[in-house]
Amino acid sequence: MAINVNTVYQTVLLILNKEQRGYMTPLEFNKIGTQTQLEIFETYFDSLNQQIRIPQTNTDYADRVVSLDEKISIFKTTGSCAYASGQFSLPAQYSGATTVSEGINATANTSVYTLTTITAAQVAAGISSVFIGADVANAVEIASSAYTLSGTTLTLATATSGAGNQAFIQIQVTPKQFYRLGVVTHQSGALPFHELQRVDKGELYHLLSSNLTKPSKSYPIYTYENNKLTVYPNDPVTGIVSGLQANYIRKPLNPLWFFTGGTTQYVYQASASQNFELHACEQTELILKILLYAGVVVKSPEIVQVAANQVALENINQQR
Amino acid sequence: MPIPNGGLITETNRQYYAGTQQFYIDTAGAGKTFTSTFNTDLIFGSSDNASSQYGLNNFHLFSSADALTWTEMTPNNTKTTATSNGVVVPVGENTLTINVANVNIVAGMLIQNSAGTTTYGTVKQVLSTTTFTCTIAIQIPAATALTFKFAQPYTELGNLITVNSYLALGTYIKIQLVESAIEDNYGEYSYTRLTDVIDNFLIAYVGVGKLIKSVKRSDVIFHARRGLQEFSYDTLKSIKSTELTVPSSLSLAIPQDYVNYVRVSWVDELGVLHIIYPTNNLNQSPYYTFTQDDEGKPIQDNFDSNTEVTSQTDAAWDKTNPRNISGGFINDLNNANAVFDHSVYDGALGQRYGLEPQTSQKNGWFKIDERKGNFSFTSNLANKVIILQYVSDGNAYDLDARIPKLAEEALYSYIIYSILSVSTGIQEYIVKRFQKEKSAKLRNAKIRLSNLKLDQIVQVMRGKSKWLKF
Repeated sequence: MAINVNTVYQTVLLILNKEQRGYMTPLEFNKIGTQTQLEIFETYFDSLNQQIRIPQTNTDYADRVVSLDEKISIFKTTGSCAYASGQFSLPAQYSGATTVSEGINATANTSVYTLTTITAAQVAAGISSVFIGADVANAVEIASSAYTLSGTTLTLATATSGAGNQAFIQIQVTPKQFYRLGVVTHQSGALPFHELQRVDKGELYHLLSSNLTKPSKSYPIYTYENNKLTVYPNDPVTGIVSGLQANYIRKPLNPLWFFTGGTTQYVYQASASQNFELHACEQTELILKILLYAGVVVKSPEIVQVAANQVALENINQQR
Repeated sequence: MPIPNGGLITETNRQYYAGTQQFYIDTAGAGKTFTSTFNTDLIFGSSDNASSQYGLNNFHLFSSADALTWTEMTPNNTKTTATSNGVVVPVGENTLTINVANVNIVAGMLIQNSAGTTTYGTVKQVLSTTTFTCTIAIQIPAATALTFKFAQPYTELGNLITVNSYLALGTYIKIQLVESAIEDNYGEYSYTRLTDVIDNFLIAYVGVGKLIKSVKRSDVIFHARRGLQEFSYDTLKSIKSTELTVPSSLSLAIPQDYVNYVRVSWVDELGVLHIIYPTNNLNQSPYYTFTQDDEGKPIQDNFDSNTEVTSQTDAAWDKTNPRNISGGFINDLNNANAVFDHSVYDGALGQRYGLEPQTSQKNGWFKIDERKGNFSFTSNLANKVIILQYVSDGNAYDLDARIPKLAEEALYSYIIYSILSVSTGIQEYIVKRFQKEKSAKLRNAKIRLSNLKLDQIVQVMRGKSKWLKF
């Protein structure tokens, strides 16, 4: 489903170099790729909002709402929420802490390293990223498939040489990328699932005051503030203090065109790269938008113009 | 069709009629879970029959080796015994060894002496069928006869029963609802729960491409509950009634879920109901009974509030002999055969010109004292058994929050109209359309629920052709 990062990069380079207009480095590509992926990803939700108001056809593959849902479905996920001090946290992937990092000087022919600054709890709750390079400034992120980080033990798929561009390892643990909260449900034992209604504080006070509408275990409600869910009924004994599940959209992982340094050129290393997570049907738009940014990078107004026109044309076709 | 197969019935015949659900153990072990699929949610207080919380249970759990002879799972019925070896087990976390292997001993069990009077500690971990890591609070002497049992042989959460005890292969487990829980479920199929109405409404009537594109669930809950209230007052059958004895104080507290009375009757020795009428304009309990000064002004206490005295109206009414109002009768209320028991004096009593029909009855009167929140009866009803039939609003208890299927469609229409009539951007003709639909469906529901049966009408009408003989 994913879009191969090398295909996109090579296509972009091909178009850029067609008339010797310039060159885009892997570092530039990775940054622009991340930006473009997020830009496309964010349009899904506004497009869905617009498409849902328009009557759709019942014909296979032509229903735009279904098509959009298919694109978003890649990022849909579910997690259970932990209860503490009267509130539920978002699913465990959100650590809520700032990024923590640790640098290790690599040693020759070593693939296993022990972290001393980053804790096992931080690793368990966050997204880990590992960078390797000559030093911290030049370290390049390696794909998640190129290492495992369990507890405080980092195991690289390939042992480091301990010199050159493998002299330094940087580990970062960032809060997992929770993007949008969806439906929140509650289940106790074998009882049926109950969906929680999201309310704001102003509404909450009225709901709690009215006997007819006050929340019950059959019809619970919640407020969502500061990454915490406060669920009602909230009595510690008779209320909801466990069994909460949240459906949410996660943020796409950053694309990574990973390379090993050759003498004259960058050599693509697929095993350490991260493909674009967007749906395969987005490949054209993705390339066009990267080209748009690439045109700015290489200072080519023609590239910008052509790419912008193509993107606009595609948007018209998609009725965005 | 004994087994539920995707229809609206979700209970087996046995679950419905006998309140029983049975399971078979095909893998031996402890900590097994069983899911109750009764329509009735399980209520659990304790599985220790010696606990006061045990009475809260609306079910009991039984086990059997043959599904014929059942034993309730209680701490004593699920206990097992063993004899410790010749080693003293000291206080702390230590290993206990027993002489004969016992698979029934599992983690979490209490370790007691054979009489059950001393609890030594608990089993923490099973190392083998003869050795266990235990948390010991009181030292276990060497070669002691021991009893192992759970304080709670099973627990329940959200209709999921977890049996702590060890269950052997081929054991049968049975959940048995108590009688009142079974009765509550009888006839359930003629109703739809309000929660189902709300969920069904959100599924079928709300969404893109429909008149109601989106609505807050709390709004639907509000209108559904309000609809149920309105229906309870004049559409649904009045099913609430309570049997009470009028005390010598002649007053009874209004029932907790009372909204309005339907009929108040006293019960004679044959069990026949005799309607008691409201006092109407004969008497009324005053809401305020202020203490007055010489000028007639209310007197205040040291908290600046008016003081009150005992009502003289009530006192006078309590002393009243209903015979003085009704026109007189000789036969008292205790004589159920009074209607056939005429004496020569009866013919003379009450035969007055200008007889007031509403007071010419011997069953007595009642009134509602709104200030005190009680029913008051006339003195001839003292110590009588009465039946109070009344309407509630359908929202008092969880079991009340349901609607007869015959009126379900009317409730949907009520909710649709209620939402559309307060929504912006809905044309008036659409609102009117649903107002008419709501009225029509409510009328249909009333006709359905009035339960008019042709054969019963025919039977009544046959009486109309009787010859009247004088």
